[in-house]
Amino acid sequence: MINNGFVFKKPLRYNVFLKNGLLIFFFFITSFSFGQTAEAEAHFAVCKACHTIGSGKLVGPDLQGVTERRDEAWLIKFIQNSTAVIQSGDPVAVKVFEENNRIPMPPNNLTDDQIRNLLLYIKNGGKLGGAESATEKAAADTVVQTAAETMLVAEKKQKDAQNRYLVFIVLSVVIGISLFDMLISRIIKARWIHTIIILIAVTVIGEIVFIESAALGRQQYYQPEQPIWFSHKVHAGQNEIDCKYCHFTVDESLHAGIPPVNVCMNCHRLVKQGKQTGTKEIEKIYLALEQNKPIEWIKVHNLPDHVYFNHAQHVKVGKVDCRDCHGEVEKMDEIIQVEDLSMGWCIECHRSREIQFASNKFYEQYTRLHEEISSGKASRVTVQMIGGDECQKCHY
Amino acid sequence: MEKKYWQSLESYREMQKEQLSGSTEPIAEFSIEGLDESEIKGKSSRRDFLKMLGFSVSAVALASSCQTPIRKAIPLLNQPEDLIPGVPNFYASTFFDGTDYCSILVKTRENRPIKIEGNELSPLTKRGTIARVQASVLNLYDDARLRNPYKNGNEAEWETIDKEIIQQLGGMAQEGKQVVLLTSTIISPTTRKLISRFQEVYPNVSWVTYDEVSASAIRKANSLNFNRDIIPFYRFDKAKIIVGFNADFLGNWLLPVTFSKQFSSGRKLFKGDHEMSRLYMFESAMSLTGSNADYRTAIKPSEEELLLMSLYNEIAKAMGESPTYEVPKHGFDIGKAAKDLLNNQGSSLVVSGSNSTNTQLIVNAINQLLGNYGNTIDLNRPVFLKQGDEERMQKLVADMNGDQIDGLLMYNVNPAYNYPDAAAFTNGLEKVSLKVSFAETMDETALLCDYVCTASNYLESWDDAEAVKGYLSITQPALRPIFNTRQFQDSLLKWSGSKQKYSSYLEDNWKELLAANAETGNLNKRWARIKQDGIYNIGIEENEPPAFISKGLKTPAANRPGLELVLYEKISIGSGKYTNNPWLLEMPDPITTATWDNYACISPRFAAEHDLHHEDVVKINGQLELPVLVQPGQAYGTVCIALGYGRTAAGKAGNNIGKNVFGLMNVKNSQFQLSGQEISIEKVGGKTYPLALTQMHHTMEGRPIARETTLKDYIKNPSSGNEKERFNEENNSTLYQKVNYDGIQWGMTIDLTSCTGCANCVIACQAENNVVVIGKEQVRNRRIMHWMRIDRYYSEDFENPEVFHMPTLCQHCDNAPCENVCPVAAVTHSTEGLNQTAYNRCIGTRYCINNCPYKVRRFNWFSYVNNDEFDYNLNSDLGKLVLNPDVIVRQRGVVEKCTLCVQRLQEKKLTAKAENRPLRDNEVIVACQQSCPTDAISFGNLKNKNSEVSQQQQEERSYHLLGHLHTLPSTTYLTKVRNKES
Repeated sequence: MINNGFVFKKPLRYNVFLKNGLLIFFFFITSFSFGQTAEAEAHFAVCKACHTIGSGKLVGPDLQGVTERRDEAWLIKFIQNSTAVIQSGDPVAVKVFEENNRIPMPPNNLTDDQIRNLLLYIKNGGKLGGAESATEKAAADTVVQTAAETMLVAEKKQKDAQNRYLVFIVLSVVIGISLFDMLISRIIKARWIHTIIILIAVTVIGEIVFIESAALGRQQYYQPEQPIWFSHKVHAGQNEIDCKYCHFTVDESLHAGIPPVNVCMNCHRLVKQGKQTGTKEIEKIYLALEQNKPIEWIKVHNLPDHVYFNHAQHVKVGKVDCRDCHGEVEKMDEIIQVEDLSMGWCIECHRSREIQFASNKFYEQYTRLHEEISSGKASRVTVQMIGGDECQKCHY
Repeated sequence: MEKKYWQSLESYREMQKEQLSGSTEPIAEFSIEGLDESEIKGKSSRRDFLKMLGFSVSAVALASSCQTPIRKAIPLLNQPEDLIPGVPNFYASTFFDGTDYCSILVKTRENRPIKIEGNELSPLTKRGTIARVQASVLNLYDDARLRNPYKNGNEAEWETIDKEIIQQLGGMAQEGKQVVLLTSTIISPTTRKLISRFQEVYPNVSWVTYDEVSASAIRKANSLNFNRDIIPFYRFDKAKIIVGFNADFLGNWLLPVTFSKQFSSGRKLFKGDHEMSRLYMFESAMSLTGSNADYRTAIKPSEEELLLMSLYNEIAKAMGESPTYEVPKHGFDIGKAAKDLLNNQGSSLVVSGSNSTNTQLIVNAINQLLGNYGNTIDLNRPVFLKQGDEERMQKLVADMNGDQIDGLLMYNVNPAYNYPDAAAFTNGLEKVSLKVSFAETMDETALLCDYVCTASNYLESWDDAEAVKGYLSITQPALRPIFNTRQFQDSLLKWSGSKQKYSSYLEDNWKELLAANAETGNLNKRWARIKQDGIYNIGIEENEPPAFISKGLKTPAANRPGLELVLYEKISIGSGKYTNNPWLLEMPDPITTATWDNYACISPRFAAEHDLHHEDVVKINGQLELPVLVQPGQAYGTVCIALGYGRTAAGKAGNNIGKNVFGLMNVKNSQFQLSGQEISIEKVGGKTYPLALTQMHHTMEGRPIARETTLKDYIKNPSSGNEKERFNEENNSTLYQKVNYDGIQWGMTIDLTSCTGCANCVIACQAENNVVVIGKEQVRNRRIMHWMRIDRYYSEDFENPEVFHMPTLCQHCDNAPCENVCPVAAVTHSTEGLNQTAYNRCIGTRYCINNCPYKVRRFNWFSYVNNDEFDYNLNSDLGKLVLNPDVIVRQRGVVEKCTLCVQRLQEKKLTAKAENRPLRDNEVIVACQQSCPTDAISFGNLKNKNSEVSQQQQEERSYHLLGHLHTLPSTTYLTKVRNKES
């Protein structure tokens, strides 16, 4: 069964059904507050770096039940500016501060209402409702269990490629035998049989050669060994750390940014041991700091020099999800290049993807397109319609 | 009758011939010089071809089976908050090289300076730069830069050097031996303070300032007339009539950026403007300023004083002033200029570039009569440039030879190369026991020194600058020193026993200055703000000009019949500090369009009389051999040669190019004068020397491309001189549908009235777009790669022509002839009006080049990168750091051209989208436009009818280049208006 681009040998039909069903159910009952909850979820992405809801202490305390432990007004004050509360000598705040290795929580620029929503979100266990969270957790556990048995689509495709090589060799042999029989051994008298066999074999071989040569220089399914066995599955998958927490320049720069060691240290100052690798891999971070030597990661997604690609354009402006190009990173241990990053692949997306035409004020100047939309001549505006398939959008 | 333009003497003669015979003979066959016989004929046989084929097939097979190289992504260990990889940072700083001043912004990518921009906040330079400022970023990555300090020609440690020098200086101070600190002009108040502190520690140190091209006569004249030893601040923007005598104020004289801004601001003619200043120029060599003059007269250097005196007499007579002076006869009419000056008293300006006190005294007297002091000449704001004192310098050299000097510390000077009597200097230097140089490279002087305390580049240093009183700016490092170097000021601090770094010394001094200037509030914040802005202005007292002390003027001698020499600084390399900068070496001179060499310019009449031709070699004074360049506009009886060439220790690009002519400088009354010395020249029979001119390979074959009018006609009819455009518009019809853009159509307008042809844009474009340097031989083969070129046309008089500068770049035609001939569709048109070339699709047929009527497309004949045949900056790891990472470096075999800085368009569009707002007018600024010192270029969205560029394209003066071809360019030009009577 293929679910979200991944092949699961053991189907998860029941769990997925339950999960989706419940999601739809809760969507209906909580639809009036959905917008607010989504906002709270976004706000909680910041908290997530140091706090969990029910998964134990990280940098800061586990937030499960925090709404019962503390008074709401106190929480609002503390979340907005914890240092001020601590400095005011509030005994509870000081106690919390001391208990958590005197690491201050940075101030958050949120309104009281936003914090109330956030607290509601925490109270609900970080999901849309309390009842659902248990099932959700079960589903998540199943994913973890089955993850070991899952195989990436990428790997399957790699197998296909190996099959192509096999077909190539077999067909070459077939051509050889046919020619031999046609000219020398003459076991089959009717020569049209040889001709047909050879023609078919040549056609198939031709196609394989075409596919393979088009892929020359591309690195689809490239999965180099990194200097640190860093698992995106653990970080982005199980711990649900937002991509942009580490790749924080993605909204501003052409590079998404490989996180510097000081970003790793935000958590790994305290998280010194991993579940899978123990201290072995995490210690490499400390070593880098000690030796004052940056970590030399191997670049996985490489574009040719003559291509200009800008992450901010796609992620911030185009609202393209990271997964659309990088695949389901949260399910990969070591990163593998899922897409072939060919020009055809880029163009295909530029031709079909809709831009934020109505909501972004930049596009106001495209008066003709606006007229076409309002008159119903065009139903949507794709990247191509504003020149997204022209050479000098990427090559200069 | 329509004016006839000609680009060179050859085309002028062709034109004459055509007029006489009435036939149109084809111009002499195109020759490919520099290629040897085999290259032209081609000698590879069929066997060679098969061998090559076999080899390349196997090479491709081998290459494709290899593993892709491993590419690394190495983040910083600890990323500072303000550094985002991929996003440029700009640091406000100041460019000052001892001669030129400019307030700048340094664009850095990943902490690597890649481009210099002008600082918009500076009241002096207002976002403008000159070509040398643009190119200075390449000097940071010069292979000739020393990587360590040196002692006796060997690399040494700073500790050893410091210890030894401190010891020797201390010993000399105790014994009272004389030590001299020899520097270029220093305009930094803090460095001046530091030097006096150094002198307190070592009281035996005296400080001598030396400029290779001096302006001490102006200061001397002012100290005689006003008791003030200053250069005043000139205001060309306030002057309606400007009369210049050999003062190339748009090119090299004092503050060219400031003066260009001022001059052009007085000559803008947009809707409703009917006034512009008028420039008279009397000069010997055709200078950039002279080429922009409304009335230009070619005079010999010895006639300058005569004419000035006549001008003085005319004005004094008309105003009833006395005395007037006896003037020997000369053949020039100065009456028109005098009349204009008299009609504009208080709003006129007379300047002279001469370094003779007597000449400057006459200039002062004229300006005083006209009441220009306090109006167009500001004595309250002295210019602190050119503080060199030749008298003291000459005394120093004499003292050195007389064994009087025991120590010599030299900063930013190179007298072994540029002192007029260099032999005397080097002889004297041998007798000095402690010789220290603070050079960046092992130049001619540093080679002779015991210690080279390698200085950092200005982009790695802290400093401040006050070029004009009250207008201060800050120099701050854009990166840490790349090599083991130390800025001059840090060395001085160390040797005066201080533990302080110069950065903190500077900060302390500035806080004192701010406190003294009654700045309240947090000084730290104020200092941070100054570092951000790069500038700080101090209000000055606006005093009435001091009383004028009239001095008796010397009656000038009659003009001399002999051949006179004129030395000048080239717009590109100046006086020789940039001789190793390949960008500047290959920059075509705005007037001669020559690259890579210096040469002897002579007038056409002189050439005809002495049977001299272009590229003939002549001997100057029987010693120096130089090629001849016949230059229209050169005064008859003068020879003009550029300084700055003939260096022997500049570096790989600049060594042994041209000849050093500092030795021919005219030392008169102990003043170093550039012109006036009599010389003899003789032809070296049968010898020629090839010059690389870009002149003839961009001919436009006499089409109406250069359009101009006079102010008088313009006021009567704004579209005068541009009647053809209306005709074209009315008569052009086409079967094709006109392109209808939606949202954005990029367009450009170039105001030819403002453009002075300074070629700043050429280098700005080169820096922004990774344009390669190809060397003299390839330039001669007509393969120059510049995306932006300045076409120069001559018209009218053969001996003293009118000059027309025309920046030419890709016109981005809507109906582009290049697009429909490309067999592989590599040249396409974008929905934003850009004519785009996809380099990776291009197969190099060059059909597009052939079909482009503007000849702006460039072909990569070779791989210019990583190729030791082109030993400039792109074959070394250091030199390649200057490349703009947003723009690809084109490979061999593809065609390239102006992209309208598409990387900047995309960047600003992205910013607007990310901020969820429409694109603002003038938000996108392209490289050529950004640092233009005359604001001649405007750029923007033509779809926005209120944008500046749309407005300008509506002007009556606006015309399309070769519009009759119906190419429908997005670029228009605005007719040049000359302020002439007829």
